Amino acid sequence: MLARHNQSKALQWLGKQLFNREDPAAFFDPLLERINPMWVQEYTPARVEQVLQETSDTRTFVLKPARRWQGFEAGQHVNICVEVDGTRRNRTFSLSSSPILWQKQGLITLTIKRLPGGRVTNWLHDHLDVGSVLGLGEAFGDFTVPEPAAPVLFIAGGSGITPVLSQLETMAAQDYRAPVTLLYYVRTSEDVIAREKLEALTARHPALTLTIIATHDGTAPRYLSDADLGTVPGLNARQVFLCGPKGLMDLAGELLQSRGVRERDIHCTFFSVPQANIEDQPLGGQVRFAQSDLEVGSEGDANLLEIAEAAGLTPRYGCRMGICHQCSCRKTSGTVINRLTGQKSGPGEENVQLCISVPQGPVSIDV
Amino acid sequence: MNTMTEAQLSELEQDLNAIRDEVVADLGERDARYIRRIVRLHRTLEVGGRAMMPFGFIPPVFVAATVALGLSKIIENMEIGHNVMHGQYDWMNDPSLHSQSYEWDTVCTGDSWRRTHNYEHHTYTNIIGKDRDYGYALLRLSNDDEWKPRHSLQFINYILLSVFFQWGVGLHELESERIRRGEIRLRDKLPFLMDFFRKGGRQAFKDYLFFPLITFPVAPIVLAGNVSANLIRNLWSSTVIFCGHFTQDAETFTGAECDGESKGHWYLRQLTGSSNFTGGKWVHLLSGHLSYQVEHHVFPDLPAHRYPEISAQVQAVCQKHGIPYNTGSFARQYGTVLKRIFAFSLPDRVRSKVPALSMGQAT
Repeated sequence: MLARHNQSKALQWLGKQLFNREDPAAFFDPLLERINPMWVQEYTPARVEQVLQETSDTRTFVLKPARRWQGFEAGQHVNICVEVDGTRRNRTFSLSSSPILWQKQGLITLTIKRLPGGRVTNWLHDHLDVGSVLGLGEAFGDFTVPEPAAPVLFIAGGSGITPVLSQLETMAAQDYRAPVTLLYYVRTSEDVIAREKLEALTARHPALTLTIIATHDGTAPRYLSDADLGTVPGLNARQVFLCGPKGLMDLAGELLQSRGVRERDIHCTFFSVPQANIEDQPLGGQVRFAQSDLEVGSEGDANLLEIAEAAGLTPRYGCRMGICHQCSCRKTSGTVINRLTGQKSGPGEENVQLCISVPQGPVSIDV
Repeated sequence: MNTMTEAQLSELEQDLNAIRDEVVADLGERDARYIRRIVRLHRTLEVGGRAMMPFGFIPPVFVAATVALGLSKIIENMEIGHNVMHGQYDWMNDPSLHSQSYEWDTVCTGDSWRRTHNYEHHTYTNIIGKDRDYGYALLRLSNDDEWKPRHSLQFINYILLSVFFQWGVGLHELESERIRRGEIRLRDKLPFLMDFFRKGGRQAFKDYLFFPLITFPVAPIVLAGNVSANLIRNLWSSTVIFCGHFTQDAETFTGAECDGESKGHWYLRQLTGSSNFTGGKWVHLLSGHLSYQVEHHVFPDLPAHRYPEISAQVQAVCQKHGIPYNTGSFARQYGTVLKRIFAFSLPDRVRSKVPALSMGQAT
C-alpha cells in the first residue's frame, strides 16, 4: 500500500521472472535496510530529524522523507507504517507543516497526540527518536485550501488542529486575501497545541482571526455554541472546515445546519479510535466488500466468511476453523474480533482470516 | 486405532489449545526478528551464490557457489516459503511475508500449494484416498491401496520423484491418476496447467537460461551450478518431507473414521500420522522445522521456530493421553521410510511373511 513503482514494463517483467514478486526491487530490502534504512524500496522511508514537545501529551515529529516522496497539499493526510512488537501497523495522520517547508528543506511534520490505550500513538511517543525510520505513504485527502480564495471558518478540536496548522501557514505565505477565522477548542489552556505558532501567524497575517476556547477551565464545561458561530461575520458565505473529536464534529454540524450553512460548504475530517471496551459493544456491523462493491449488515457472532457467503460472494476458503489461512484477506478499515482468541484487531489495514473474524462495527474488506 | 472417547478427545483438544494460546499470546518482536534474520540469510546466500557462480571455473568457488545457492533455495522453500504460506507470520501484517500473496522459489505455484498442501493435506492428513500427499498418488505406502505389478518397481519412481521433486510438486494438482481413471478430464485442468507452465517456465528461464546467458563465456559452468543447486534442494526437501508421514509408525486413516470428526479427533490424527526426527540446530533450520512435523501438524500456523520450544509440552500431552509420539534420529526415521517404500512394493502375501516389514497402517 505504501509502495510506489514506476520501473519500465520490461524491467518489471524481468524482475518478476527472477524474484517471483510484483515489487522485485523489494527483494533486496532485507539487505539494504541493514546498510541504510533510507534505501528501502518497498515503502517510502522517512527519517525522524527532530522531536518537539508541544504539550504534555502531544509531540511534533519532524521527518525527512526519501526524495522520491511526491509531496502534498496543505491539509492533506498520510498513512504511516511502523512496527510495534513485530507487527506492522498503519495509521493515518494529518501533516501539520506547510508544503513550503517540504519544497525548501525536504522536511514534513506530524503532530501526534497520545491517545489513551492507543497502540500506535503511545508507541510513537515512547519509541520514535531522532534517527528512527518509518514508512510513509503518499499524501491524500481533499481537506485543502480553497482556490480561488474564499472566506474560511476553521473549527478545530484538540489535535484536530494539525491539518489546520498546515493550511494557515500556507495561507499566510501566499497572502490569502479572504477572511479566515479559527475557532480552536481545547480541554484546558495547557492543551493548546502550537500556541506560539498560532499567535505568530495571527500577528503576521491580518486576515486571520484566532479564538481559543478552553472547554474545561471553568466549573461548567463550555462547548461550542450558537453564540460562537454568531461571532463569525458572513458565516453563510464561508467554506467551513471541521476537524476534531466526533462530539465536536456532530455538534458543529447541527449548529451550522440550523444557521443555514449549505452541506457542500462544510468539509470534515476526523480520526478517532473506537473505545477499547469489548463487553459494552455488541458484535456485528455493516460490512463492505470493496472489490464487489457490496455492503451488508450483520448481527451477532456471524463471521466475515459467513457474512460474505450469505451476501452471495464466494471468497476462497479452506478448513473454516482458522487453520489453513486459505481465506486470509486484507481488511482495509474497521475492527474485527478473532473468534479463537477473543482478541480485537486494530482499526487500520491488516490481514484477517475471514472464517474466524467477527465484525465489530463497520468493517471494510478487500474481497 | 482410535480408542479414545469423545470426552477424552475433548480433553486432548483443550490441552493442545492451551499450548497454542500460550504461544499466540507471546508472539511478537522475537518472532519478527527471527524470520527477518532468516530472510536476510536467504538473500545473502542467493546474492552471494549467484555472484560467485561465474567464477566457478575455479573448482572451490564452484563448490561454494553451488552450495550457497542450494542452501538459499532450501532455506527459502522450507523455512520461509512453506512456513509463510501457512500463515505463520500473517500477524506481522508485512505484505512480503503474507500467506496469501507469497510466491516461492520453486516450480509449484503458491496458489496450487495453498490448495493442495495447506488445505487438502493439512485437513485430511493421512486419510487414504483424501490426502493425495500420502504417496503422491505415485507410491503405494499402505495396504489400503491394492497391490499391482507396477508397484514392484516403485523404488525407481521414488528416486525419480526425489530428483525432480520441484516438478513433481508443481504437477501434483494435475491429479493425473484421476485423469487416467477417467474421473476428471484434462480439459478441467487447463487453468491449472497454464499456471504450471507459467511458473515452471519462469523458474527454468531464470536458472537455466537467464543467469547462464548473461555470463555467456562461462554459461556451461553457471548452468551446471544452477542445476546442481536445484538438485541439492530437490533431494533434501523430498527426503525431509518423506520423513514427515511415511515412517514406520506413522498411522493412516480411512475416510469413514474421520467423517464429521471433532477438533480433538483431528488433533489425534495429526499427532499419530506425523513423525519427527532429531538433529542439530541447522538440521531443524534447513528442514523448515519439519523435523518437528508432529508439532507442525498440530499447530501449522504457529511460527515454526517455536516448535522446539513447545515440543516438551506436546510430548507431555501425548504421554498423558497415552498417544505415541513418533521421533527418532534422522537416519533411523529415513531408514524406516525406505523400508516402507520397499515393503509395500511387495504383494501383501509376500510382505506379511517377513516380520521385519510390518508397518503402522489403518485398521
